[in-house]
Amino acid sequence: MSAPKTIPKDAQVMIQILKDMGITEYEPRVINQMLEFTYRYVTTIIEDAKTYASHANKSNVDADDIRLAIQCRMDQSFTSPPPRDFLLEVARQKNQTPLPLIKPYTGPRLPPDRYCLTAPNYRLKSIQKKVSSSANRISVPRLSVGAVTSRPTTPTLGTPSVQSVTTKVGTPVSLTGQRFTVQIPPPSQTTTTKPTTPSTPAVSNVLINPSLIGSKNILITTNMVSQNSGGESLKRKHEDDDDYDAL
Amino acid sequence: MAAVQGGMSDADIETDIKTEPSTDGFGNNNANDGRVLSASPGSGSSTGSNKQTAAVTPEDQQTLLAVLQFLKKNKLIESVEILRREAGLPENSLDPKATESAGAGSGGAAGIVDLEGGDVSSLLSRVTGSSSAGAQAPTKAVAEDQPDVRVVLSAYSQQGDPTLYEVYYSDLKKFIETVLDCHRAELSQVFYPLFVHMYLELVYNNHESEAKAFFEKFSGDQECYYEEDLRVLSGLTKKEHMRGNETLLDFRTSKFVLRISRDSYQLLKRHLQERQNNQIWNIIQEHLYIDIFDGMPRSKSQIDAMSGSLAGEAKREANKTKVYYGLLKEPEIELPLDDEDEEAENEEGKPKKKKPKKDSMGSKSKKQDPNAPSQNRIPLPELKDSDKLDKIMYMKEATKRIRLGSDNLPSVCFYTFLNAYQGLTAVDFTDDSSLIAGGFADSTVRVWSVTPKKLRKVKSAADLNLIDKESDDVLERIMDEKTASESKIMYGHSGPVYGISFSPDRNYLLSSSEDGTVRLWSLLTFTCLVAYKGHNYPVWDTQFSPYGYYFVSGGHDRVARLWATDHYQPLRIFSGHLADITCTRFHPNSNYVATGSSDRTIRVWDVLSGNCVRIFTGHKGPIHSLAFSPNGKFLASGATDGRVLLWDIGHGLMVGELKGHTDTIYSLRFSRDGEILASGSMDNTVRLWDVMKAFDDLETDDFTAATGHIHLQDNSQELLLGTYTTKSTPVIHLHFTRRNLLLAAGAFNP
Repeated sequence: MSAPKTIPKDAQVMIQILKDMGITEYEPRVINQMLEFTYRYVTTIIEDAKTYASHANKSNVDADDIRLAIQCRMDQSFTSPPPRDFLLEVARQKNQTPLPLIKPYTGPRLPPDRYCLTAPNYRLKSIQKKVSSSANRISVPRLSVGAVTSRPTTPTLGTPSVQSVTTKVGTPVSLTGQRFTVQIPPPSQTTTTKPTTPSTPAVSNVLINPSLIGSKNILITTNMVSQNSGGESLKRKHEDDDDYDAL
Repeated sequence: MAAVQGGMSDADIETDIKTEPSTDGFGNNNANDGRVLSASPGSGSSTGSNKQTAAVTPEDQQTLLAVLQFLKKNKLIESVEILRREAGLPENSLDPKATESAGAGSGGAAGIVDLEGGDVSSLLSRVTGSSSAGAQAPTKAVAEDQPDVRVVLSAYSQQGDPTLYEVYYSDLKKFIETVLDCHRAELSQVFYPLFVHMYLELVYNNHESEAKAFFEKFSGDQECYYEEDLRVLSGLTKKEHMRGNETLLDFRTSKFVLRISRDSYQLLKRHLQERQNNQIWNIIQEHLYIDIFDGMPRSKSQIDAMSGSLAGEAKREANKTKVYYGLLKEPEIELPLDDEDEEAENEEGKPKKKKPKKDSMGSKSKKQDPNAPSQNRIPLPELKDSDKLDKIMYMKEATKRIRLGSDNLPSVCFYTFLNAYQGLTAVDFTDDSSLIAGGFADSTVRVWSVTPKKLRKVKSAADLNLIDKESDDVLERIMDEKTASESKIMYGHSGPVYGISFSPDRNYLLSSSEDGTVRLWSLLTFTCLVAYKGHNYPVWDTQFSPYGYYFVSGGHDRVARLWATDHYQPLRIFSGHLADITCTRFHPNSNYVATGSSDRTIRVWDVLSGNCVRIFTGHKGPIHSLAFSPNGKFLASGATDGRVLLWDIGHGLMVGELKGHTDTIYSLRFSRDGEILASGSMDNTVRLWDVMKAFDDLETDDFTAATGHIHLQDNSQELLLGTYTTKSTPVIHLHFTRRNLLLAAGAFNP
C-alpha cells in the first residue's frame, strides 16, 4: 500500500511554521507531535470557552470567552518564571544574611531529617490480628513489613503500639494467642543478629536485614491464621486497613 | 538627561539608573521641574531646583506621582485634582499619558531643545517623556505592592503616530550612512535596540499591521548575530504574546547598554535634537543606556567582538569591582618520603622539615598573595583525615604529572557511551578519575567504575556491628562484597538529568534535572539522600565547590542558587541574567561563581555578598561551557557560535578568541598546570589550544583597562595545537587526569 502522495493541509501548515521559526532539521514524527499538541490545545480551549459561555448564560461562544479560556490555561499549565524585579528583591533579601559557619566534625552534613529522603519508607505493622469466627481458615498469607529502630533517637514512622511489642532487635516477644505468626521457611535469611527461638510453635519473628541507611532492621512477619487464639481481644479492628495506612 | 552618562558633569544624574532607581528618578524628575519652572536652557540639572519641590520625601513623591498617573489613566479626574491639591504638587508636574495617544502634533513634537517658556505642547511632551522615565523609576520601588501600577506605568506610552515610525527609522538610517566612517560603526550599534524597542512599542499599542510592515522593512538590516532574536520577535505580533515571554519583558524594562565615544555621541545628539519629530530621542533616553568614553571611536571589528548579548555590552563600572582571583593557600601537609614514612602534618604553618621531593603544591612565599581572598572570607569545611590522605595522594600523583606544552601534547582517551540512544545528557568524572557518572534523559543516574575496582555498597548496620573497627583496612571491611558490580543505577528524578557533579571527597554525587530538583546521592549506599527544591523550573547545571560542602545550581528561572549540603534552602541567590542560566562553575578558590546564560553573557558572582562582580559580553549564542584556569586568573567560555573566548577576570576584559569549531562547544577544560585548553564540541572533535601563548602576549595597558577597548589578534590558527575527530560522537565532557592524560566522554550518535 503506497503512502499518500499529498500531505494533509494541517501538516503542510505545520511544516511551514517550523520553517518560519528557523527549525530546519527535525525528525518526521515531530510534525505529528506538533499537530497533536495543537489539536489538544485548541480543543481544550474551546471546551473551556464553551463552559464559560454557558456559565454566563450566553448562547454563543464569543471572543471574550476564548480569551478568558486562554488566560486561565496559561496560568495553569504554561507558567513562566517570576519576573526579574521580584527575583532581584528576593535575592537582595537572601543575600543579606551572612554565610553560616560550618560546625566541625559533624559527620555527613545533611539537612534536618525531615528534609532528607533518608527515612524508611515503610513502618512496622502491628501483627496482632482479630480472630475471625471461622477457625482453621487458611487465609491468604499476608506479608506485613515493619521496621524496628534500634536507635530510639532516630525518628521513625513506626507506630508506637508496635514498639511495645518488639523493642529490641531480635527479642521475640511472645504473646500467645495474640499473634499469629508462622515462621517463614527461610531461604533468604542472610544474617541474623541473634538466633530467633520460637517460643511457641506458632510464633516467631524472622529478622531479615537488608542494607539501609542507618541501623534499622526489618521485621517481617507472615500472618496466617492456622490456629485460633481463643478470642482474646486484640487491638486491631480493621485488619486490612492497617496494611495501607497513610502515614 | 537620565539615559546618558558621562556627558553630564553634574553629580545628581550621574548615578546608574538601574541600581538607584528612586533617587535617580527623583533627580531626573525634579530636574525637569526645575527646567519647567525656571525655563532656563543649558545644562542638565540645576542642583538648586532639586530642593524646591521637595515638600515630601523623595520616596513619597514618587509614590504620589505613580498614583496620580494611575488615576489619570483611569480617568478619575476629580480624585486627581483633590490629591494634587492636598499633596501640594505643582500643576504641571505631570501630564496625562492618555491624552498623548490622541496623536496629532503633540506627541510628535517632543523636543528637548530648551524653549524660552513658550510652546506648551512641546513642554508637555518633554515633561511626559522624562516623567515617563521618572515614572518608570518609581515603579521599581513600588513594584511589590502594586503590580498593576507597574504594568500600567511601564507600558510603552504612545509617543507619536505609528505610521511615522518607519519614517523616523529610515531618517536615522540615512543620517548614519552619511556620517564619517570612523563614527559609523559606533552609531550603527544603535540600530538593533532601537528597532526592537520601536517594534515592541507598535505591538504593545496594538498597531499590528504597522508593526508587521516595520519589521519586514528593517529586520534585514540588522546584524547577522541577532538573527535568533529577530526570529523570536517575528512570531510576536500581538500584545498578548508579550505577556508570557519573560525574556522580552526583561528586555523591555532593562536598559540596553551601548558604548559610544564622545564624538560620535555628540553627532548623534545634535542630529536628533535638530529634528522636529524627536521620537527616536525619546526612545533612546528611555530604553538605552549610553556609556560614553573619551577617546578614539571603536572599529567595527572591535564592536563586533564585544556585542551580541541581549542587554548590549557591559557598563564599565560593572567590571570595576576588585575580584580576588588568587588561589587559597593549601594547607601544609608533609609529603611522605619514598620509603613511605608517614610524616606528621602541619596546618598552615612552616614545614618542620624540608621537603625532599619537588613540591608542586607551591612552595611559594609564605606571605599572602594580594589577589587571593583570605582563608576565612567564606566559611569552608575543615580537612578531615580522609581529605588529608587524598591530598597526599594528589601530591604524589602530581609529581608524576606530564608537563604539557605545544611540543608535548596530551594523549586522549575517549569513553564512548554506546546504545545511549541520545539519552546521555550529562557526564562527570571524579577528580582522581576513578568513577564516571552519567545523567540520562530517562531520568536515571548511572555510575561506573573506570578502574578494575568494582563499586560496592556499604554494609547494613547489623553487619557493621560485627566488623573489627580497629583493623587497618576498616574502610575495606565496611563494604559489602555481595553488592559488587561494575555500575550502579540510581533512580529518583522525574525528568531528564541535565547536570551532574561529584563531590571532591567522592562521597556524594549531585544531579540536577528538568523536574526542578537537585538531588544529593550517597556513593556509599547509592541511594538518594536529599532533594533540594527551590527552582521550580528545569535546572540546567550544577556543580560542587572544589572544597565540597557548597554547590551551585542554575536553571530556567534565570537565577543561580548557592546551597550547602546541610541547608534545605539556598544560601545565596544570584539574580540578574535575562534568560536561562545554562552553565555554572566555581572558581578554584570557591569564592566566586561564574554563570553562563542564554542571554549570551557570562556573569561572575561573589559568594560572600551575592553581587555580580563581572559581566562578560561577546558571545553570539547561548553559552554552554565555562572553565576557570587552574591559577584562577582566566576564564574560558564556549557557546553555540563555535567560538571559545578567553577572559581576564582581574581586569574584566576579553583577551582571546579561539575560532575553529563549527558547532556548539559543550565542554572546556584546562590542563592541570594551565598550559593547554581542550575543547569538545558537537562537531565531533576535540581541539587543543595553546593558551600559555595566548596569555603570554597580553598587553593590558591603561587605555585598554580604562575603556575596555580590546584588540584581539586573529591568531586562532597558531594557537590550535591539534584537532581530534571522533567517528560520530559529540564530545560532552572533558577531564584531565592528575597526570595530564585527557579523558573525554560522549554518546555515540550514528
